[in-house]
Formats: sequence, structure tokens, C-alpha cells
Amino acid sequence: MIHEMKIALPVPKQAYAIFFVVILSLVRGVSYSTEIGIALEAPMAILALTFCADAYTQEITSKRSEIQRLCPRKKRMQSIYKRIMIQEMFLLADAAVGYGLFFLFQNPRLGRTGQESLESEICQFFVYFAAIIVTLGFWGLLSNLLSCLFRNMWVGIGGGLMLWLITNSSIGERYFGAWNLFSYSFRTLEDNNDFSWLYGKMVCICIGILAMATLPKIIEKRG
Amino acid sequence: MGIKIEDLTVTFKNKVTAINHADLEIPQGIFGLLGENGAGKTTLMRVLTTVLSPTSGTVTLDGIPYREKNFEKIQKKIGYLPQEIDLYPSLTVQECLEYMGDLSGISKRTAKERIGYYLEKTSLSEHRRKKMKQLSGGMKRRVGLVQALLNEPAFLIVDEPTTGLDPEERIRIRNLLVDFSEGRTVLFSTHVVEDLVATCNQLAVMKKGKFLYTGNMKELLEQAKGHIWICRAKDETMAREVEKTYHISSKQYVGDELQMKIISEAPPQIPCSACEATLEDAYIYIANQE
Repeated sequence: MIHEMKIALPVPKQAYAIFFVVILSLVRGVSYSTEIGIALEAPMAILALTFCADAYTQEITSKRSEIQRLCPRKKRMQSIYKRIMIQEMFLLADAAVGYGLFFLFQNPRLGRTGQESLESEICQFFVYFAAIIVTLGFWGLLSNLLSCLFRNMWVGIGGGLMLWLITNSSIGERYFGAWNLFSYSFRTLEDNNDFSWLYGKMVCICIGILAMATLPKIIEKRG
Repeated sequence: MGIKIEDLTVTFKNKVTAINHADLEIPQGIFGLLGENGAGKTTLMRVLTTVLSPTSGTVTLDGIPYREKNFEKIQKKIGYLPQEIDLYPSLTVQECLEYMGDLSGISKRTAKERIGYYLEKTSLSEHRRKKMKQLSGGMKRRVGLVQALLNEPAFLIVDEPTTGLDPEERIRIRNLLVDFSEGRTVLFSTHVVEDLVATCNQLAVMKKGKFLYTGNMKELLEQAKGHIWICRAKDETMAREVEKTYHISSKQYVGDELQMKIISEAPPQIPCSACEATLEDAYIYIANQE
């Protein structure tokens, strides 16, 4: 596992991911703490897109994939999944730190009214955390899948970015509604009991599972 | 035992034919593959490692045909050092090899033992704690070779293993390959003729996707016998004239005169004497026979 960590998380990558959330928490203005999740979700999806695109394609560009072909398929797949998991875990920690940094740098008013209790703040954080797990997982898996399919990480990033632009827009909000991939960001903030955004996250989970199931076939065929 | 290639053709999507109806048998021991750049050597090796599927023809390894259903069985028997490879720059030599060993399905204990053994054999023991990105080109090449040997394959394919190595290291690597070839098949591709002279008995010469020669080295040298000549040019003008007419395999100043080695089917029409053919001469003779 330690070897996979060194391969999947080189220092420059870690640095840019941390730098990304630091800058984001400095420049993206929020007035209330309820806005932090919205401020983070879509940009973190872009970070996941770029971060996970090379989980396997680095093997192709370095020509190591020609050697890896000779290794048992199960082992190869295990290594790819481990790398994705490591990258996702790091991004998750990064997203949690980012949440805290918004409080640190911008000192937003608590809750929607500015007078929420600490308990509801913690609850709000956990809801954000659950949503961001799905968001990061989905966009990371998607970019990795596209990169492997086209044997090029830039296609993975570009393809993912196209989908990001479509879904993270007013058109996306209008057409997909609660089924939007960014349903958490588009949810009604005023209604605490509105959990219809979970539909969108279910879509993400389903596509993510599909991507994970398809990956071994793509690796086998495309190498 | 060994590899059998029959009527193999590889044509790429851009219609370039890299291998053209080639037949070859690679027996046990070290088998040399010699050819100019673009001859099709690397393409052949990519087919043998199952990276590339042939357009037509058949390949068998120890009697197992190269078909998708057999790939896993075949892949287990192969070790491969590609021409270009960039092993994990953020890992140390030891870590990199342990990782490759784990990927190959070798137990940790066995991998550690083999890594120690082969690092010693390739003079890399003292560099085992260095990161891959800190190594010189020659050292990286040697680590690449160690990874190919780790699962002790029945069939080892090495593409230019001695590139970037100093003379002493080249000798070490060649000897390592010879030792390793006992009871196994090693396909040694290079365009460094000296490497083949020092290691192989059997070889194939490739040009434009075809085998110009397959057989043992002695017979290849025999074919060139009587076609290699030495002449001496008194000045540059004479040397240029000779070069225009004949194929020159080497030239060097001996005293005031320029000594030239001519490869010619018939005796040259200038004062010269016949000489012994080296593998390099024989290769050039064969390659320019068409």
C-alpha cells in the first residue's frame, strides 16, 4: 500500500490539491456556513477530475503498461483500485480541510440565519461530507475510466469537464432537477427537510459502480 | 520448447507493414535479433509479449498458440524489458522492484531474495535506497532488466538491454543473460553487434519486416567469407573514389594511409587483400545483398 501511495500521490500533486482549497477558501466568498458546501462541491469535482485521471494512464505514458500486461489481471486491477482509493481518500481529507478553511478565513455566520447551534453545524458538515464523498468518487472514477478508455488522461479530463459544464449550469439544473449530478449544490437551502438531492447522488453512485465494473474490461482490451 | 513463428504479418492502421510474412524458430538459449532501426524488431517483440496482435500468421510458445484464451498462460512465462521504460520515479530501486514483484504475483520473501541476488549481479546493491529518478540512464536500464528477471521467466525478451551502459557493465549484463539462459529462452534484440558476438550462437537478421538470415553465427560468417577486403588509400581523393564504388564497413588511418574495409560480392578492381569477416561485416554484407 505504501508503494501505491508514493505512486498515486507524488508531492507536487498533494501540493496543488492543498493549494487549490486554500485559494478557493480565500477567494470564494460565503456569508453563511450553509453556503460552504455549495462553494466547495463543483470545484472539488474539477480537482477530482484532474487528480484521478492519471491513476492508470501514467503506466501508459511511461511504457510500464507493456510490462504490466504480463502481470496477473487481478493484481493489476487491485493496484488500480488501490490507487484510486488512495487518491479519493486524500481528496476527501482535502475537502474536509477546505470546509474548515472557509470558517478560518471568512468566519461565516452560522447556519442559514446566523444563529444555528453547534449541533446543527456539525450535522450540516456531515451532510456535506456524505455528499462530497459521492461527488469526489464519481468524478474521480469517471475521469479515470475515460482516460483508460482513450489511453490519454487529457481526454479523461476533457470529457469529464464537458459533463461538468453541462450539469453544473442553469440548463443542467433545469433539465435534470433533483437528478442532477450536482443536486447537493442546487438543493433548496431554505428547506431543511428537502432531501430530494439524494436522487442526484444516487445517479452518481450508480454510474460510479458501473464505471468500476467496466474498468477491468477496458484495461484488458486497451492494455 | 521455444517459440515458433509462422507466416507472421503485422500491418498497422496506417497501412505500414512492420513484419511481412516472417517465419522464425527460437530455440532454447540466447537468440540474437539484429537489425537496423525500423526493421521490425520491436514490433516482433511486442507481438511475442502479447502487447500487439498480429494481422495474420501464427505464433506458439512451448506449443501454446497465441490466442486470447491462452494469453494469461503465456504471459506468466514471459519476462520483458522494453526499449523505453520509465520505472516509478518516486520509488527507490528496492521499492520499485518489490512493487513489480508483487504485481507479478511473487511472494514477498521470494521477491526480496531475488531482488538482492539480481541487484548484486547488476552492481546495483549500493544504489538500492536511491530513488529511481536519481539514477543514471544505464542504472535505470539495469533496474529494468532486474524487473524482467524477477519472476524467473521461461522466455525472456530484452530489447536493447545494454543501451547506456559502460563497457564493464555491458560485459556484466551480457554474462548475466548468458547465465540466465540456461534451460530458458532469451531473445536478445540489439543493433550492437559486439553484444551478440559475446553472447549468442543463434541469431536472426531483420530488415524491413523480413528475416534476411536465421541460423548460427558461424554460418553467417561463412556466408560473408571471401567478400570482405582491405585496401589502402593514399589520400582523401582516392578514398572518396573507393567510397563511391564500394560499400565501406570501416576506415581508419594507419600511418599516412587510410585503411578501408570493403564489402563486395566480387573482388574490387583496386589493389586489396581478402580479410576475415567479423559479425558486423557479415551483417552489412547480408543486409545489402538485395
